Amino acid sequence: MPDLSYLPQIALSGIAVGCIYGLIGIGFCVIYNASGIVNFAQGAFVMMGGMIAYSVLNTLGLPLPIAAAVTIVAVAAAGVAIERVVVRPLWDRKATMFVMILATLAAQIVIERLALIVAGDQPKTLPQFTDLPPIRLGVVVISYQFLWIVGVSLLLIVLLGQFFKRTKAGKAMRACAFNREAASLQGINVSRMLALSFALSAALGAVAGVLITPTQYTAFNVGVPFAISGFIAAIVGGFGRPLGAFMGGIMLGLTQSMAIVAFGAGLKNVAALSVLLIFLFIRPGGILGEAK
Amino acid sequence: MTPVLEVRQLSARYGRVEALHEISLSVADGEFVAVLGPNGAGKSTLMRAIMGLIANSGAVSFRGAVLPRQSPDTCVARGVVLVPEGRGIFAPMTVAENLELGAYLLNDADEFERRRTRVFDLFPRLRERLGQIAGSLSGGEQQMLAVGRALMANPKILLLDEPSLGLAPKVTDEILGTLALLNKGGLPIVLVEQKAPLALRLTSRAYLLSVGRLVAEIDPRTITSHDELARYYLS
Repeated sequence: MPDLSYLPQIALSGIAVGCIYGLIGIGFCVIYNASGIVNFAQGAFVMMGGMIAYSVLNTLGLPLPIAAAVTIVAVAAAGVAIERVVVRPLWDRKATMFVMILATLAAQIVIERLALIVAGDQPKTLPQFTDLPPIRLGVVVISYQFLWIVGVSLLLIVLLGQFFKRTKAGKAMRACAFNREAASLQGINVSRMLALSFALSAALGAVAGVLITPTQYTAFNVGVPFAISGFIAAIVGGFGRPLGAFMGGIMLGLTQSMAIVAFGAGLKNVAALSVLLIFLFIRPGGILGEAK
Repeated sequence: MTPVLEVRQLSARYGRVEALHEISLSVADGEFVAVLGPNGAGKSTLMRAIMGLIANSGAVSFRGAVLPRQSPDTCVARGVVLVPEGRGIFAPMTVAENLELGAYLLNDADEFERRRTRVFDLFPRLRERLGQIAGSLSGGEQQMLAVGRALMANPKILLLDEPSLGLAPKVTDEILGTLALLNKGGLPIVLVEQKAPLALRLTSRAYLLSVGRLVAEIDPRTITSHDELARYYLS
């Protein structure tokens, strides 16, 4: 029996990694809502986030906030590039969802291998954003990176909510989610919305990558596990529902961290996939129900 | 009169099935034209092909300029606006948001208010329902919203695909009455209708489609009885 006094501490680390899964899950939802495409290159954005930030920080010597901003813009551009080069040609030919999943998965593998060639196989990490000793609250220790992860994630959720609710582009993206054809009949350029959704998802993935890297490490091959966790978060939340994906991410993060303590690190993914299976069996619509 | 909308030899297919065969028609400025035909005649396909929602061959031009193929947003920008079959409203969004999206290409707050006021004058009920979720409206109100949303784009020609579908006769009359009013104000309208007598009451000319082909052009004034109309359908 593990020592239960660790439980709050474990819960905190679960919440932190859950926020990251949630951001990746939201990335899945944003693209899916705009286009009906499930983009499996989502993990590549997270990997690129950590790797590019590392290079910008260490080769160009820019301060961390600027390096982070440069990274997010660069990864968003990469997202648009994937949309242009991989997704758009298939989309124009009305490819099925399975073709899209395979094509984006292929893009993920290509990016992964390119990262291996360019950056090598050594894991890299980023410094903590705020280099101060962690805060102690009784038995719980809260690191500043935890606060950064949770704070930035919540801020992004609020900003995204406002974007979809208040801005014209956000409303147009929602309109595409409900009825793409009717959206195009209002003068909305649906394929431009597709590019925008890739930029937005890629930026979210990059933020996730930059936030999580200081607490662990990044390497060319971290993308796929993150993509799978984000995908599970999105399904558990009710695919297509950004807020649900975030809740799903936190739930998944908590489950994983509890499983690590109870059964050992090797069973972390067993726990994650069990959550997925339980939801698929009992509540296939997810926490919030299906979007459509 | 010179035509504003000209369709030349428009063909479209769904997979290997030809749904539309070399349709040519034209609409003059200020005209109210009906497109009639039984279920499956290709009326909706014709509208979708004109807007570029489906792949097609042939040419559609509006006010002398050819409309690009498969670019519905460009059609809307040029003033060719379709109220699609089944209304196509954004059900989970509010009435206000639906109307806003109708004016998606407009970036002028004053003009937006002017257009919206005009829509409210035509459909006062939309003003009352502004904050309501569009999907919770009655069928008639949803159709009003669909027409109102199309008017927010300030169309130079309005196409409507069976706006009477599934509506009570009284509501249908109300909506068709509004269309007649808009047409009197100078807006050219193309109305797709399965119920021919309804459309012939309002329109100055009608095209009859059957199995993807244009089979007749009808002058409603010459149709005085149902029998004559039936003859067109059966011939």
